[in-house]
Amino acid sequence: MLTVQILINGLLLGGLYACIAAGFSLVWGVLNIINILHGSFIVLGSYIAYFAYIYLGIHPFLMAPFAGLALFGLGYLLQRGIINYVVTAPVLVTLTLTFGLDLLLNNGMLQAFTADYRKVNLTHPLGNWFVGDIVVPLDRLAAMLLSLLFVLVLWWVLRTFRIGRAIVAVRMDREAAALMGVKVAQIYAVTFGIGAVMAGTAGSLLSVIFPISPLASIAYLGKAFVVCVLGGLGSIPGVIIGGFALGIIESFGALYFGSEHALTVSFVLLIVLLVVRPTGIMGRKGYE
Amino acid sequence: MQIAHYKRVLKQGLLTLAGLVLAATLTMAQTIKIGAPLPLTGPLSPEGIKQKNGYDLWAEQANIKGINVGGKRHKVEIVYYDYQSKTPRAVQLAEKLITSDKVNFLFSPFGSGATKAASGVSEKYQIPTIAATASSEAVYNQGYKYLFGTFTPNITLTSPLAKIVKSKSLGTNRVAILARNDFFPLAIANVAKKSVADEGFDVVFFEKYAIGTLDHASALTQIRAKKPAWIFATGYVNDLILIRKQMAELGVKAPVLTMIAGPAYKEFVEATGKNAENVSSAAWWHPAVRYKGNDVFGTTENYNRLFKAKFGGIPDYTQASSSASGVILQMAIEKAGTLDTKKVRDAIAALNTETFYGPIRFGANGQVVSLKPPIFQIQNGTQIVIYPKEIKQADMKMGVK
Repeated sequence: MLTVQILINGLLLGGLYACIAAGFSLVWGVLNIINILHGSFIVLGSYIAYFAYIYLGIHPFLMAPFAGLALFGLGYLLQRGIINYVVTAPVLVTLTLTFGLDLLLNNGMLQAFTADYRKVNLTHPLGNWFVGDIVVPLDRLAAMLLSLLFVLVLWWVLRTFRIGRAIVAVRMDREAAALMGVKVAQIYAVTFGIGAVMAGTAGSLLSVIFPISPLASIAYLGKAFVVCVLGGLGSIPGVIIGGFALGIIESFGALYFGSEHALTVSFVLLIVLLVVRPTGIMGRKGYE
Repeated sequence: MQIAHYKRVLKQGLLTLAGLVLAATLTMAQTIKIGAPLPLTGPLSPEGIKQKNGYDLWAEQANIKGINVGGKRHKVEIVYYDYQSKTPRAVQLAEKLITSDKVNFLFSPFGSGATKAASGVSEKYQIPTIAATASSEAVYNQGYKYLFGTFTPNITLTSPLAKIVKSKSLGTNRVAILARNDFFPLAIANVAKKSVADEGFDVVFFEKYAIGTLDHASALTQIRAKKPAWIFATGYVNDLILIRKQMAELGVKAPVLTMIAGPAYKEFVEATGKNAENVSSAAWWHPAVRYKGNDVFGTTENYNRLFKAKFGGIPDYTQASSSASGVILQMAIEKAGTLDTKKVRDAIAALNTETFYGPIRFGANGQVVSLKPPIFQIQNGTQIVIYPKEIKQADMKMGVK
């Protein structure tokens, strides 16, 4: 019984992790940018959902696409206006730049919202679903399913739409894509924007589960990192599998080794994977 | 002749000028500088800002009349530095405050861990240091002479609590303890383990969680399977909000839920809403205590009133303890009648007085021994005192959902 419950906990967590990591993986895979801003984008999405709920009464689940849309504007402008100037530079340059931008955004949020932890307290929580001795928290289940839905929508967009194919094309071979008439700078900005969309929606969904504070951004960023490496870079199925893998590993790690070692277990597995399969579970270098 | 006359006039003029400058310096109040490295940004900033509020309120009150040092009135100035919630930075800044800002005295950084780390510096330079937010005995048992703390040892919180819970009929004796793997939260969890065992409880679950844990579902699921009568969780306010929320999500219930240290803050009640109901906790001070003191605040009521006027809310133990640190320093300086650090240190060690915060007397290791920490429970959204009986407002209620 305990095992089943732990498995359910892990799956619920895993879906959320997938959503946290999807945008990060896309930006890393396509632009070769390790976007340190990602964690703060998620937190900003949570704040948008929080204030929309407090002042307008809009449920964070409904707010998620709009929070994503707002973040798209910010992401697009940041890439177009700043990051694009160094986008072809070595990865360390873009990493440093996004790190600097993250300091600005994160400290800006600290100024605006303070470091106080806020929480969306739903007036009508969905409650729990009991199956014998097993508990399924329904708000978490809903957040997880919506997370997966958004990730699948992203996958669908990448596979079917013209813009999606262009993004994949740029990822596979930037020069060839440019020769085929793809406006690479435009695609970069859109991709960065989409990464921010995923962060915004994830933040909005997470606002009902985790406390909201600018200080949470680093934890989200860490999860995104691990999921990407576990699942493989820039691959949407990889993100989903990586997310579930991390959620389940953490849950069972806590059961067998104690809560304090849950993180250790996931990082040890990460190192093992980096050694034996550096492309991740689903990763194939350079391909979607 | 003429030249000699001018020389004399010049000499007299200069002398007068020098005299005037000297007189002006003497009548101008000298400033007492106190250094305070605080976590004003980063994960501990909610706590750091509370500490700053407490110090500022005291300094403002002390500066109305000034601090009496051997008949002269001195102003006080607190020099703040932000150590960004990074303990090594707190140690560096403590040293900078002493060597380059030349502060006379020091207020410790936040919490037992950083206080212990920085205490080596102030000891080295022999600067009397008051710790407003350190309770773990390991901080004071280093044999240091210049460190004094306003929190009683952790066991003074857990022991009476275990007695109260024992007096209720719970059906079972099982206790589950979940602790943040950090200096103070782990120390108090270990002490709690001892206190509950002393009362005959059976600790069926004892786990630590890593700093920065976002998901407690696995640990909480295991706790639920053990069906404990009493769940005891430690951490800082954010951890405890998260744990309380996830307990509700996972349907983890128990007759008694104790959380330290978070429920004393209004932020906890605001963030957890009705889930805060019946959560019990203990702290070193509570706005409902009623003490009469010989300090600038006079009474607890007056302190609460002044705090509300300045910050618009009810003070919690962190803020009050920080103000009390200032009060203690002021009383010791006035008693010593000098700013000599050694004499002030001796005056602090010898204090035996009443304050708005409670009676103040330090043990040989520098930790306060004269306080009786209140135990409280959140009932209808407010912190209600259930112990000690002199200030008890209600009985402890059973059951958290």
